[in-house]
Amino acid sequence: MKSKGHLLHIAVALAVVLVAFLITNSMENRYYYKASYVVLQYVVLATAWNILGGYTGYVNFGTAAFFAMGSYTAVALIKLWKPPLYVLLVAGGAVSGLLGLGIGYLTLRLRGVFFSIATLALAVVLQMFMTNWEFVGGGAGTAILKPRSVPFFSNYDEFLFFVMASLAVAAVFVAWLIENSWVGRGMAAIRDNEEAAECMGVPILKLKLFATTVSGAMMGIAGAPFSYFVVFIEPSSAFHLDYAVNSLAMPMVGGTTTWLGPLIGAVLVGTAQQIATVTLSAEMNLLIVGSLLVGFVVFAPEGLVGLFRKLRGRAMGRSA
Amino acid sequence: MQKIRMASRVWMVALLAVWMVVSFGAPAAHAAKPLKIGFSMALTGGLAAAGKAALLAMQIWAEDVNKKGGLLGRKVELVYYDDQTKPANVPGIYAKMLDVDKVDFVVSGYGTNLIVPALPIVMERNMVFMTLFGLAANAKFKYPNYFQIMPSGPSPKTDWSRGFFEIAKKQSPKPRTIALLSADAEFARNAVAGARANAKKYGLKIVYDKTYPPGTPDFTPVVRAIKAANPDMVYIGSYPPGSVGITKAVREVGLNAKMFGGGMVGLQFTAIQMNLGPMLNNIVNYHFWVPEKTLNFPGVNAFLKKYQAKAPGAKLDPLGYYLPPFAYAYVQILGQAIEATKGFDQQKIADYIRKNTHSTVVGKVKFGKNGEWANSRALMVQFQGITKSGDINQFNKAGVMPVLYPDSVKSGKIQYPFK
Repeated sequence: MKSKGHLLHIAVALAVVLVAFLITNSMENRYYYKASYVVLQYVVLATAWNILGGYTGYVNFGTAAFFAMGSYTAVALIKLWKPPLYVLLVAGGAVSGLLGLGIGYLTLRLRGVFFSIATLALAVVLQMFMTNWEFVGGGAGTAILKPRSVPFFSNYDEFLFFVMASLAVAAVFVAWLIENSWVGRGMAAIRDNEEAAECMGVPILKLKLFATTVSGAMMGIAGAPFSYFVVFIEPSSAFHLDYAVNSLAMPMVGGTTTWLGPLIGAVLVGTAQQIATVTLSAEMNLLIVGSLLVGFVVFAPEGLVGLFRKLRGRAMGRSA
Repeated sequence: MQKIRMASRVWMVALLAVWMVVSFGAPAAHAAKPLKIGFSMALTGGLAAAGKAALLAMQIWAEDVNKKGGLLGRKVELVYYDDQTKPANVPGIYAKMLDVDKVDFVVSGYGTNLIVPALPIVMERNMVFMTLFGLAANAKFKYPNYFQIMPSGPSPKTDWSRGFFEIAKKQSPKPRTIALLSADAEFARNAVAGARANAKKYGLKIVYDKTYPPGTPDFTPVVRAIKAANPDMVYIGSYPPGSVGITKAVREVGLNAKMFGGGMVGLQFTAIQMNLGPMLNNIVNYHFWVPEKTLNFPGVNAFLKKYQAKAPGAKLDPLGYYLPPFAYAYVQILGQAIEATKGFDQQKIADYIRKNTHSTVVGKVKFGKNGEWANSRALMVQFQGITKSGDINQFNKAGVMPVLYPDSVKSGKIQYPFK
């Protein structure tokens, strides 16, 4: 039964990747690729954030640090020997994953808000470091030339869209795998009551380290193609607080306890932001995120998924 | 039968009417189609104050052009989106303007960080690209249809500060040592890197060379450290908050240097000038336009009059000497090139811009090979004779910021040494 479920999910994931590939061969309008890229990037970031923040209950304010480390690892490699994109993805993921592991080891003794402050501080420290590392452009930033062509795609924007769509599918799939395994249940136990979980024999340190590593690695992978997308990288935009706020707000809106929450949240909030940028005004962006965040925290603390479950429960109760 | 004949007649008349509308109406509709010029602009975020002023200048240009009937009979329409001073927003905005809004031309937003992300998109379509205040933004891309309006010159990094060193060279006693201080961010580091190269070229010994984090609240320790190094000259690369903090700290601690200033962003802004008042006296700093007779180009005063009438209402820099004339000029050149080539062919327009000298509100502009001004006109001006704080009228007349360099537009003499 379990393997059947796995097969079905793998099939759905592959189908989505295939659809993304087919889209690139049928649609010309570049704007939609670029806008979709940003939304898909947030699907990865929100899903990654949720593995630590949602499943395990450790709120990470340092998304920008992991994301930017992925980007800067890619920039350093591009400056050294221009490797293909998959090498950048692996390297970005490895560096941010190791960073997650290290930070987890150092800070997971801190609980609640103290852990969050530590992750925020991490972003500040790393931004300072990058500002002073001349090889990757330092504070002045550096322009990155993206490859002119790529096989199977008519231009690089379409390729980047396809890559990010595949990464988003992979991220959601990993989240689903974790959620539906003993690891996910262990994480949920940590979230609900860490002491009780430890007494019950849940290997809490190992699980927490696993969560910080996987979450960090996924954020790093999302950051790796960033320099090709913007073609210019400098610390203040790579470490922008937006990444931290959005990757936290999106799971909150969608729901933090399931893989579906960050996906729904990222698609909804990300798309709303993209539309607001080119229709209303950019200031509306922040207002949208802020209002949604406050609204959901107050009225639907379990996000859209929780709200839906509640409504369905009520309806079923009524019919019974 | 009668009914059928009647119906076919109605159809014929209708067809005739459609044909008439299509054949006569279409050219009229085409002629009335506005000419869309698209760009992203920093209307929120760190560069918002400058970005909004640039937008106002561009709107004034569009009004001026439309009053005269537009460009080649088409009214100009500006299509713009707020990039929030975030480079990551720029690729999406330019793709939207080109693929969805179908703009006819694009120009850049304000500043290097927001110009570079737009470049590959413009390059892929071989469009002409007028840009606003990028520092060597085209260095890596080497795009031939790129034209940058800031008058930093063909070697932007070193030309920027050359004036400071040229002035120093002629003074007696001649400065022999220099201190360099830079904010830890894009422009400031580039400016100071140029100054470092110039210091070596002009045979000056660097006795202090440090950076400070952009959020530094108190500059007294930094200025004390510079004072302890006892340099003859001090070159600063700073952003507005730092420029104010450093100037105040220098006046508090005192400095033995004979020349002070260089690349301090913010000292060109009226609000900061009014705030610092007499503290500014003797500072030699870069600028792009000041109300001196040597810079009284055709159209600039008329433009500034319009700008100054609207700026207070929009809460923008009330005098607008620094950026607005250049924001007007970069679209002015595009407009002139469209009219001169009598068409909308991107390559012809780019070739025209490259080959000709353009008369603009910021003077004669000729572009060099890399799309920068063929000859640098980065001004070095000195604040002189400011007596009080808070008085705007001190700054809107000649003589307060005389131009010391370059010689072609020189309008005053330096007060030396720095006091």
